[in-house]
Amino acid sequence: MDDAAFWHRLQFAFTITYHYLFPQLTMGLAWFLVYWKWRALRAGDERCAAAARFWAKIFGLTFAVGVVTGIPMEFQFGTNWSGFAKYAGGVVGQTLAMEGMFAFMLESAFVGALVWGEERLGPRMHFLAALGVAIGSWLSAYFILVTNAFMQHPVGHTVHGSGVLVIQDLAAYLLNEWALIQFAHNQAAALVTGTFAVTAVGAFYALRGEHTRQASMYLRHGTAVGLVATVLVAFPTGDAQAKIVAKYQEPALAAMEGRFETGPMAEITLIGQPNVKERRLDNPIRLPGLLSFLAYGTFHADVRGLDAFPQETWPTNIELLYYAFHVMAGLGTIFIGLMALSVLQRLRGQLESGRPLLWALMLAFPFPFIANTAGWITAELGRQPWLVYGLYRTDQGYSTVVSSGDVLFTLIGMAGMYFVLGLLYLYLIGREVAHGPDAIQPSPYGESAEAKGTIG
Amino acid sequence: MLTMFVVLDGWDIGAGALHFLVAKNDPERRQVIAAIGPLWSWHEVWLVAAGGTFVLAFPELMAVSFSGFYLALWMVLWSFVLRGISIEVGGHINDSLWRSGWDFVFAASNVLLAILFGTALGNVIRGVPIDGSGMFSMSLFTDFTARGRVGILDWYTLSVAVFATVLLSAHGATYLRLKTVGPVHERSVRLARLLWSVTPALFVVVSVETSVVRPELFQAMFQRPLAWISVVVIGAAVWALATGLRGRAESRAFAGSCGVIAGLLAGAGASLFPVVLHSTLSPEHSMTAYSGATAERGLRTALFWWPVAVALALTYFFVIMRIYSGKVRPSQDTQGY
Repeated sequence: MDDAAFWHRLQFAFTITYHYLFPQLTMGLAWFLVYWKWRALRAGDERCAAAARFWAKIFGLTFAVGVVTGIPMEFQFGTNWSGFAKYAGGVVGQTLAMEGMFAFMLESAFVGALVWGEERLGPRMHFLAALGVAIGSWLSAYFILVTNAFMQHPVGHTVHGSGVLVIQDLAAYLLNEWALIQFAHNQAAALVTGTFAVTAVGAFYALRGEHTRQASMYLRHGTAVGLVATVLVAFPTGDAQAKIVAKYQEPALAAMEGRFETGPMAEITLIGQPNVKERRLDNPIRLPGLLSFLAYGTFHADVRGLDAFPQETWPTNIELLYYAFHVMAGLGTIFIGLMALSVLQRLRGQLESGRPLLWALMLAFPFPFIANTAGWITAELGRQPWLVYGLYRTDQGYSTVVSSGDVLFTLIGMAGMYFVLGLLYLYLIGREVAHGPDAIQPSPYGESAEAKGTIG
Repeated sequence: MLTMFVVLDGWDIGAGALHFLVAKNDPERRQVIAAIGPLWSWHEVWLVAAGGTFVLAFPELMAVSFSGFYLALWMVLWSFVLRGISIEVGGHINDSLWRSGWDFVFAASNVLLAILFGTALGNVIRGVPIDGSGMFSMSLFTDFTARGRVGILDWYTLSVAVFATVLLSAHGATYLRLKTVGPVHERSVRLARLLWSVTPALFVVVSVETSVVRPELFQAMFQRPLAWISVVVIGAAVWALATGLRGRAESRAFAGSCGVIAGLLAGAGASLFPVVLHSTLSPEHSMTAYSGATAERGLRTALFWWPVAVALALTYFFVIMRIYSGKVRPSQDTQGY
């Protein structure tokens, strides 16, 4: 109990992991909504309009949970990580404030209009509302990722006389190489979450034989975007991400692959368990040379193992880091296979009749959430033991005036509340899916359909 | 920015706190929630944006105050979560028990938020026990005196909390008066009059108490131009409010209500300046805006983009107000709430 840093970390990890389950879905769905609204506006496609109405309800619910779970995050910098807020607030505060001012304002200004305002706004404005929400949510992600990128690879700052960081070059900070690559990788992954959700609902209706026209459209659009997105996650964005980790966070790369010794022709490990005590990988199945190639572009490059670094700069939880990375990479590969197969079947005209594949698509939707979470665990554990890489250690950053018991108390409280919130969310989403897209009137929820022009 | 949040979200909170008083049955309660439904997340945005700006401008102040108020702040966060859920979830299922339950959560979390904000303001004015290390941590209450080793709650902060709750409720009633028709409207009219007539009395009480707890604040007030401006704003706002409440000028009354709250906050801020967090233990441990502010460079950098962002935000604000202008009627047009 006296390891306060551990409880602070666990609390932040829990709240942010839970929070990010929701934005990844809204960011993924946002562009589907834009596309369907655009089709409805341009081609008068009633099927697309109905799809947008249905998914806007799911979007709205997800967005709301994202907002309520997101608000605590910002406060936690002050409540739980006051050392960090003092040390780096002058730098990371820039993007946190920008996120609120530029992105979140735009998003939440128009999300209400997107979900409830179709009749009042008219088709053109309603399309613009969808566009505003999509741009806002992606912009939001960019600012948050710049903040994270600063912690991963600090640039654009200078150390002030009193020992705290101040911003030196705003452009360098905003255009951090790490942020650009991470943004591409992360947004492609969010798109995967969105496409898997659309495809899964399509497969569900197809299997039940309801809403068949909607179902076939979800399957068509979902798998097409899904194939592109799953490939983008791996290449070029995932590849670039791995290279930048190899460039700036060598110990993290070594730990991700469970590599304890330095040497050329470094293998990638498909299966194996890191045994940190004995400093080796148990029962490994490996492909030689590939890690050298992926990280440095040639099979013969030396990849330094953990033995090349002093132990106090090793990531603090090598096992979890290793598993998280392998879960992410493994799932990413399976996603590409699944989407490629689905697109192939669709081209052969057999996607909607092949029940095994529909079952797989329906049951696949949770896995992008797992892969995204595992990816973030990889990124954040790889950063350890640093809070700001190379500058500031995690165990310097937490609030020393807050005892571990208090943190545990709020963590349990938060866990309980989020559990209830999760149940409610799943229940309500389940209801929407059960009602289906065909029952919705242009002004949703039926009871308001006759009241025109008085939405207050 | 913080003022903007309090003014905007204040009407949600106030309307929510009055939920059971103005709305006696289910359609009426739906009507109240529909009046704020599409707007709440947009109002909370100001809190998020203010929070971000806070990190940027006063990292040290944020670090000290947020960790010091640790448990109280988590109560605020939980209330926010509960309020958000109750708005979004309550109307999704057409069942009277389900709805009543969420209506209760909605009202309770809003009352709690009003009280907590008032308490927070009281703490900032009274000061907190910052010691030589520059940090503080306090218990929920100690001996209820407002000196030395104070707790979050004492007679002073509690009375500020009561004042804030009444003030925000009055604000909420004024908003509902503007936004609704029918029985809810009638009750809002009566409540707005009642609450706004109680408010000045409470204000006098709180002012007298403040002069006991922090006598130097009133002297400081006379030397600061911003404090004078805020007095003028409050004066004009009170006039608008009084005439607006008597007649049928609902928008004017609402504008006045916003003005009163903004003016009061600005006045309090101006008299506190340059001390941002007063130490009840010893004045030299107090935190000033200069020691709390980040090195100038950060703020100067922010000044490049900040005005642009504010201009954009205000544009959205007017677009939204246009979209959601007009009254909310009972039982129809509740937009899913």
